[in-house]
Order: sequence, then structure tokens, then C-alpha cells
Amino acid sequence: MIQFYLTALQMALCLAPMAMGIFITMKVFNIPDITTDGSYTLGAAITAIMLTGGLPVSLALPACMLSGALAGTCTGIIHTKLKIDALLSGILVMTALYSINLIILGRSNIPLINTASIFIKSDWLGSELNGQLLTALTFVGIILTLLIYLLRTDFGIAMRASGNNPVMTKALGVNNDSIRITGLAVSNSLTGLSGFLVAQYQGFTDINMGIGIVITGLGSVLVADAIKQWFNVKKIGRQIMLVVIGCTVFQAVLAFTLSIGIDPNLLKLITATFVLLIVALPRLTAFTKHK
Amino acid sequence: MLIINHISKIYNAGSDDEVRALQDVSVEVKKGEFLVVVGTNGSGKSTLLNLILGTILPTAGSVSIDGKTISHLPEHRRSPWVSMVFQNPANGTAPDLSIVENFRLAALRTGKKGLGIGNNKKFRQLVKEKVAALGMGLENKIDQSIGSLSGGQRQALTLLMGVMDKTSVLLMDEPTAALDPKSAKVVMELAEQINREMGITIILITHSMKDALQYGDRLIMFDAGKIVKDLNKDAKQSLTITELLEWFT
Ligand SMILES: Nc1ncnc2c1ncn2[C@@H]1O[C@H](COP(=O)(O)OP(=O)(O)OP(=O)(O)O)[C@@H](O)[C@H]1O
Ligand SMILES: [Mg+2]
Repeated sequence: MIQFYLTALQMALCLAPMAMGIFITMKVFNIPDITTDGSYTLGAAITAIMLTGGLPVSLALPACMLSGALAGTCTGIIHTKLKIDALLSGILVMTALYSINLIILGRSNIPLINTASIFIKSDWLGSELNGQLLTALTFVGIILTLLIYLLRTDFGIAMRASGNNPVMTKALGVNNDSIRITGLAVSNSLTGLSGFLVAQYQGFTDINMGIGIVITGLGSVLVADAIKQWFNVKKIGRQIMLVVIGCTVFQAVLAFTLSIGIDPNLLKLITATFVLLIVALPRLTAFTKHK
Repeated sequence: MLIINHISKIYNAGSDDEVRALQDVSVEVKKGEFLVVVGTNGSGKSTLLNLILGTILPTAGSVSIDGKTISHLPEHRRSPWVSMVFQNPANGTAPDLSIVENFRLAALRTGKKGLGIGNNKKFRQLVKEKVAALGMGLENKIDQSIGSLSGGQRQALTLLMGVMDKTSVLLMDEPTAALDPKSAKVVMELAEQINREMGITIILITHSMKDALQYGDRLIMFDAGKIVKDLNKDAKQSLTITELLEWFT
């Protein structure tokens, strides 16, 4: 049983970079970006093809992040330069990526067995899962530290301000377009990183693994948002930490629903319902208070 | 020196709702001058300021500051010369960011927003000192989100933010319109102080006839997209409020 939830925690940690990426686009920049579905699979596809090709993990990692960044840049350029709605820009790139991912993979599924892996395979920490958890935890720790630092820098302040009040930042010499493109690039490079981690963790890359993954990220950010409001968390660094917690809660809830014997085919339905609940709950309570 | 050279601005040119907001306007504003602009609603005052700031581009004519023509530059590239205080204090601040973060960005208006932590001890001390000078007791709240402050407090802060980094010209479009008389006074006196002590050129648009008389050292009036009055310091000083009001009839 505990093993079951540890597996959920492991998945949560692998998905946490993506959730943090969604936090950046959605909460820092106010951009609804759904390139995610595509850039996540892109990261996983590149991982699969490089690792099965015998290339080292140390090359696959930057390759995944860079290609994710490239995907985000495309969405950003379409959105800012062609003035196309952010949602549509994301859908366009995501759709295009499906074909690109198929081309990269060459078929719809590539197993990753006996290939190099970022995860510590030995059971020197008691069980194999512990080693994997430690690896994922290290990654999340590093990303978290870097992001918290980034958001506290002058550039980070400009990022947050441009999402908060673009009229002001424009007058303060900030190029809102390029800072948005950078934001989307950073966000999707983190998504690519999640694809990299998950592919190795689950031991395969599938062309459809990204479908609806954006909802998982969105859900994590929304859970984080709810916690933030309960505890009145103001500091941006703490808010990002909450996203990791939100991601964990989200996966735990999914694990729980599966554990009580719900048909796995219903997983996406449950995910969507759960997200709807998180979004709707505050509104419903506000409504009853008004009465 | 700010030179407005034969500027015209036509909105929606060629269509049915064409508006000639500015018609061949020329004016020179000396360095360190405090120019007050009055005029009826829709006479083109904001249009002029927006042309200088760069949110809109002129239909004809040019704007130059300190010998550099800026009227073709996008807004974010004019920041070395121009700083703006908006009518609505909400426009000039990022509400969810703290006071000190807002100031940090303002301090980098012309500089690079790099990957260093500029919001450090030294900077926080500087902001505390600047904010303390307002006498609003905000120096102990610099980590509070700026959106939680009153409009008057925010506007006073935007004014300070406007001159955190070097600028030639400070533009103010009805900066006190949303403020109560007391806050308005604080903001106007701060503007005067900035103009006097830092030698920054100020262009102020106002509908307050009292302020138009009390502050500044030159007064111009717009009507239907043209400058119809231009009074120097002496002429302005001998102007009475009744005379000024008559301009509008
Ligand atoms: N973006 C725009 N598109 C079309 N017309 C505009 C636009 N902005 C201003 N105008 C028109 O240009 C004219 C001048 O407007 P402007 O805002 O410069 O006036 P103003 O002197 O600042 O007035 P107020 O005192 O009311 O602020 C008005 O007729 C206005 O309707
Ligand atoms: Mg106006």
C-alpha cells in the first residue's frame, strides 16, 4: 500500500518540472499555454531515440530541454509577433508537434529496457524505488532552486511585472514580447524535462503519453493556488514550492481513485472532474456565502 | 530640450470616424521647465503625451529630446528619455508585486534587467529612505504588495518611481484626478520638488485650474488639436483664476 503511494510520489516528482512550467506561463505571465502536451512527448521522444541509440543521459537531458524551449519559442513567436491568441498558438504548435514526435519516434511506442537511465537502478537505498525517488527529488530540488533564484533576479521581477501589468512594464523599457517568448521557452523546456524523466521512469515513450498532460499541470497549479489562498502565501518562492506539493496532492488523489478499484479507462474523466472541482469549489462557496 | 516639430495625429484616417486629434502642433520645452497643459476634453492633450511616450506614432511631424529624434522608436526604447506617470495609479504599478520590487523595476527603466539579484540590502535601504521622505509611513511596508495601498499612496510612489532612473522628461497625465485633495497636494509638491532639485523637465496635464496656476513655470492651452495659448512664467503669475476660466468659455 505504502509502495503504491510512493509510486504516485515518484510520478509527481517527475511531473513537477512541468507543473512549475505551467505555473510560470499561467500565474506569472497570465498566458494559457497548452503547447505542453506536445513538448512533453517531444522530451520523451528525444529521450527514447537518444538512449536507445546508445547516447548518454548527459546529452539527452540538454537535448530535451532545448527542444522544449524551441517549441515554447515557436508558440511565443506565433502569439506575440503574429498576434494570435495564446491558446490557439499553443494548439497549433501542439498539433504540429504530434507529427514531429511521430517522425522522431518512427513508430508509436519505443520501450526503454536496458538503456542508460538517469535513475539509480541499484537498490543500495533499500529498494529500487528509493533510489529513483532520490534522483527525482534531486532534480526537483535543483529546478526549484534555480526557478526561485530566477524569479528573484531583476529579470525575474520584470517577468512577473510584465504578466501583472504589461502597460507599466512597456513604459519601463521592458520588451513584453521577448520576455513572454522567454517565459514560454523556459516553461516548455521544463515540460521537456518532465518528458525526459517520465520516459525513463516508466520505461517507454508512447506517442499518446502527452494527451491531456496539461490538465495534470493545470490541476497541480490550481491545488497550489488553493493552498496559497488558505495560508495567504505571498512570497513567490514559496508559491513555486506549493506547486510541487500541489502536483503531489494531485497524483495522490489519482492514486487513491485507482486504489479503490476505479477503471483506469476512466482516469482522464476523473482527472478532469477533479480539476473542475478545484476550480468550482471556491466559487460555489462564495455563492452560498452571498445568499 | 524637448522639441515637438509640426506634429499631427489623425486617428482612423480615411474612415467615417476620422479624428484630427492634433493639427500641426509645434512647441519647444526647455530643459528643466515645468510645463502645465490645460484644455477641454478631447482637445488632444493626452494624444500629445502619448506621442512623446511612444504608445502611439504621429501621422506627421517629429519629436526630439536632447537632440535625438525619438518619434520613430517603439515605446520600450524611449525609456532613456521619457518617464510617465499615468492618470490611474493602477497603470503605473504592478499590483501583485511588492513596493520594493516595483521600485527595483523602475530603477532599471533604462538599464538591463539582468540575472543578478538587484533587490538587495543596499537597494532596500535606498527605497526605504526615498519612501520615508513621503511621510506616509510606508518605509516599513516595502514588502507589502503595492496593490494593497490606497490610490494616493500608489500615485505618490509612481512619481518617485518615475525618477528612480535617469530621465530627461517626466510626463504626467492628470496624475491627481483620482486623488483626494490632501493626497493630490502631496503628489503635486513632490512633482515640484523633483523638478527643482533634480532639474527634470515636467509636462503636466491637469483639469485643476488651481493647480495650473499654482504649479509650473509655463502654461499652454489646447483647443481642437491646436495650442491656442502659451504663457511664460511672468504672464502665468499675473493670471487670475477668473481669467483662466474664461479661456474655456
Ligand atoms: N485611440 C483613439 N482612437 C480614436 N480616437 C481617439 C483615440 N484616442 C483619442 N482619440 C480622440 O482624439 C481626440 C483627442 O483625445 P485626447 O485623449 O488627446 O484628449 P484630451 O485632451 O486628453 O482629453 P481629456 O481631457 O478628456 O483627457 C478626442 O476626440 C478623442 O476622442
Ligand atoms: Mg486626456
